[in-house]
Amino acid sequence: MPEGTLCNKMPVDTAEGITTLLSDTSGDTYYQEMKELEVDSDLLWKTIQNTCKSRMKTWLEICAHCGMCAESCFLYLVNGRDPKQVPAYKIQSTLGEIIKRKGKVDNQFMRDTMEVAWAKCTCCNRCGMYCPHGIDTGIMFGYLRGLLYQQGFVPWELKIGAGMHRVYRAQMDVTDADFVDTFEWMVEEYEDDYPGLTVPVDKEGAGIMYTVNAREVKHYPEDLAEAAILFHIAGENWTVPSKGWEETSLAMFAGDWAACKMQVESVYDAMERLKPKRMIGTECGHAHRATVIEGPYWAGRKNGQPPVESIHYVEWLAEALNTGKLKIDPSKRIKEPVTLQDSCNYIRNQGLKQATRDIMKHIVAPGYFIEMSPNKEHNYCCGGGGGFNGIGKFRKQRNIALIAKRDQILATGAKLVLAPCHNCWDAIRDLEEEYEIGIRWSFLKPIVIKMLDIPDHLRPEE
Amino acid sequence: MFKKILFATSATEASDHAARVAFNIAKTYQSNLNIFHVLGVPTRGYSQVVVDVKTKERVDVDEDYTAWVTEEIKIYYEKYLDEPLDYTIDVAIGLPAREILRQAKTLQPDLILIGGSTGDEDDIVYKKSSVGSTLQKVAKAAKCPVLIVNRPAASFWGGLSNIVFGTDFSKTSDKAFDFAIKVAKALDCELSVFHALDITSLHTGKMLSQDEIEQQIRECLRKIRSRYESRLKELKGYSMDVWEGIPFIEIVKYARDKQADLLIMAHHSRRAPSGDIKLGGNVEQVIVRAGCPVISINK
Amino acid sequence: MHDLLTGIFFWSALGICLMGMLVRFIMYFKGLSWRLDRVAYTSYPGAGFKGAVRSIYKWLIPFGTYGWRTQPFIAVVFFGFHIGAVLIPLFLLGHNLFLKEKLGISFFTLNAAFADILTWTVVASAFFLVLRRLVLPEVRIMTTLYDYFILAISIAPFVTGLFARYQVGEYSFWLNMHIFCGELLLIAIPFTKLSHVFLFFASRAQLGMDFGIKRGGMKGTKMAW
Ligand code: HEM
Ligand code: SF4
Ligand code: SF4
Ligand code: SF4
Repeated sequence: MPEGTLCNKMPVDTAEGITTLLSDTSGDTYYQEMKELEVDSDLLWKTIQNTCKSRMKTWLEICAHCGMCAESCFLYLVNGRDPKQVPAYKIQSTLGEIIKRKGKVDNQFMRDTMEVAWAKCTCCNRCGMYCPHGIDTGIMFGYLRGLLYQQGFVPWELKIGAGMHRVYRAQMDVTDADFVDTFEWMVEEYEDDYPGLTVPVDKEGAGIMYTVNAREVKHYPEDLAEAAILFHIAGENWTVPSKGWEETSLAMFAGDWAACKMQVESVYDAMERLKPKRMIGTECGHAHRATVIEGPYWAGRKNGQPPVESIHYVEWLAEALNTGKLKIDPSKRIKEPVTLQDSCNYIRNQGLKQATRDIMKHIVAPGYFIEMSPNKEHNYCCGGGGGFNGIGKFRKQRNIALIAKRDQILATGAKLVLAPCHNCWDAIRDLEEEYEIGIRWSFLKPIVIKMLDIPDHLRPEE
Repeated sequence: MFKKILFATSATEASDHAARVAFNIAKTYQSNLNIFHVLGVPTRGYSQVVVDVKTKERVDVDEDYTAWVTEEIKIYYEKYLDEPLDYTIDVAIGLPAREILRQAKTLQPDLILIGGSTGDEDDIVYKKSSVGSTLQKVAKAAKCPVLIVNRPAASFWGGLSNIVFGTDFSKTSDKAFDFAIKVAKALDCELSVFHALDITSLHTGKMLSQDEIEQQIRECLRKIRSRYESRLKELKGYSMDVWEGIPFIEIVKYARDKQADLLIMAHHSRRAPSGDIKLGGNVEQVIVRAGCPVISINK
Repeated sequence: MHDLLTGIFFWSALGICLMGMLVRFIMYFKGLSWRLDRVAYTSYPGAGFKGAVRSIYKWLIPFGTYGWRTQPFIAVVFFGFHIGAVLIPLFLLGHNLFLKEKLGISFFTLNAAFADILTWTVVASAFFLVLRRLVLPEVRIMTTLYDYFILAISIAPFVTGLFARYQVGEYSFWLNMHIFCGELLLIAIPFTKLSHVFLFFASRAQLGMDFGIKRGGMKGTKMAW
């Protein structure tokens, strides 16, 4: 049985397909079938010939095997300096080997490679900064994932995740109607506290088009209300699209480039339709990476930019605080040791370190903000990036991966960790669950709302 | 009077007192009872793995699992479900408060019934990341009365004889009063209207003299009379009192004094612009302390 | 023999090396694809250029980057090896005399004592590079015979040169060996991993453009290499 009914080379693109996959508890049958899955070596080699060009070919060729990247990888560090965790080794023994053998690799090799690609690299791109030749192994792993996905060797949850994007244009089974409904419901729930609070849906020509993470709609809808409240109080002219509201992309983690394109195009369509001045995404790292940093290229936009200027939530928040659109009551600032998680996806990979530090300056009383070490673009991954958080099969490895962040946090002595990234937030929550170091964690929105100095005319009447 | 009841339960001992009341009311009013259980929040990002609030185990939630949980709930409440009762069981995944509210949004029940502890107490999964408890959130946002049974209720619903209604003269309190009257009439019991004069925060920085306090108490009593007495007369018995002190302590004391079987209060916990939930704090404090079930009314 | 080595062989080796480098260099940049690499190279030449220059020059400074600073041992060994490996071939007095005769050009020349020190440093550093490969598990795991081979042909001209310099054994034999190894190295440059001699600049430029254009450069954040 080369092609399984669940595990095969076909992407899932129907709701039934997703349900069938989901009903396979823990993907047991799926992974069973994977053992029989045939490798289409011709396709693999042809794809490589078409897509592995100068940059990557050169990387693979000139790597000096010097091992300078070893210590840069947090997974190497937390796994007892296992030489098998050296970035260059990881990529040479997988992608390098596939190329050397011109695609003629067997099933076992592909399954091992799958484990390396998803359980030994979070695509955090840190190693790329430490290689003298400028070899970015994280990028190569992203590429490798694409090859694996094409061959059907992809973790169960990510096959489902990519399928969700294909079917719902969202990472979860949240429909457009669900989104609008939930947003309206949340705003209704809070309108007594914030008179005039509304959620303008599909308003053309607004100053801001806001996009979210479907998880907020499904499990944490307070986040939607909080976003609305902050835009409202800042006096922004904002809107949400009824279609194209999902900023995230599990398809990116999965290496399903076609689904990536579909997903970002839905957001870009909304931009074209509503013509906002700017697009702002929620506090999510990979969503920003997918829709703003990488997305334009998937969608074939040669200038590498989305149709309208798109910024991360922290950029907007920093701007709102710096310009006084939002005012903080200084007496309510955080007065306990607090630290900040730098998300690789927009700090290392888009240089937004100043924005988050501006925010900290506004919301933390002087002397209480403690930087992690290392920090900013040199920060370690939270341990759950690149899809790692969600993959049941690699849970054990993920839990080990959390140790780097745990120790970084412990070293700061802070009990409160601000994590303006969904993935990081999850990982930090999980690390508390796993290692119980007694910390709390939060997105920025709820923290900022609590300390706002709200102008009189926006306060509820008593 | 309660056609549809949403009973949010952990299906553990923690909800046992609430369950007794829930099934009791449902039978008395031939209500449709929706037994609702929230499994837990997915801990694995977008994965299907959930920490079951009941067993504290990590489980893969799929149809089989939900079906199994539904069956477990049936078995747990077997003794109530034996008798004819119009009920449904639903199981959801998510943060309990949010999912209860979501369920209420679709079901539009006349009453939400909830145990004092919905399984979130020491559970790290919920506790540290979210401010406030399930109760707080449900009571704050629900559009229908929320009945909270925290301690064993002395008497069964239907066998109630004394209801205490605590007012703070707000609009929401007026609504709560309408409801209190309705319940008192339907159950044919006495209603005691009570107001606690807050001498802690109201006049911070200024000690009130005993004369001033008594003066204010008289005023409050007048207010109660003019607002409520005409309608109280429709009942078989009523009383009106104003005490001074820390409101939530006074009302708990008063309820004990009156041997109340039920406490009704408005939960107008407007998130004070400062952000911290202060005003609502009263109801929550009362819930924790009161010896009888509490109904909180929000909108 | 000597005439052959300094004649046709020399010319071919030099030609192959220079042509090879040029062709591969051009091919590299022609092979860059905005779509596959997901970097809008041509849309923002200014930002790309700035990023590229920074990315190269930071790494050429000893201890100029976090990478070098966090790994001081390899940094010392690397620069010990490479300063000599680049300077000696071009600026040794003997080489310059040779070049003058052959090409009619000559560069500035190194002081003889300094050149000796440099050469010894190269050899010593090479020894440590080998040692590193043998001792450190994180390097050993990746090391292949090919890596030793590259090291060997890189170091051969230096070792043979030293033998000739100190006249160990027969001078003309070592001189011929030295020239032969040097020419081998020249030929190897475009076709082996030694292509890093020029592809280093290409690869660093590429990543520099990536950061300069897409990953923060255009947001005004300079990559803190
Ligand atoms: C400007 C010219 C050059 C640059 C920028 C350059 C750069 C580099 C870099 C970045 C590495 C990898 C880092 C490391 O191993 O520590 C390396 C390794 C190496 N280079 Fe070069 N290189 C240059 C010229 C040369 C030349 C002329 C030779 C030969 C004579 C050479 C031989 C080697 C060897 C053998 C290694 C591997 C070292 C090892 O075993 O770890 N390089 N070079
Ligand atoms: S640091 Fe760069 S050249 Fe050295 S082994 Fe790692 S990837 Fe290869
Ligand atoms: S991208 Fe990050 S996780 Fe992957 S090999 Fe490099 S440092 Fe390690
Ligand atoms: S989850 Fe956060 S820290 Fe980890 S790779 Fe993604 S952005 Fe980086």
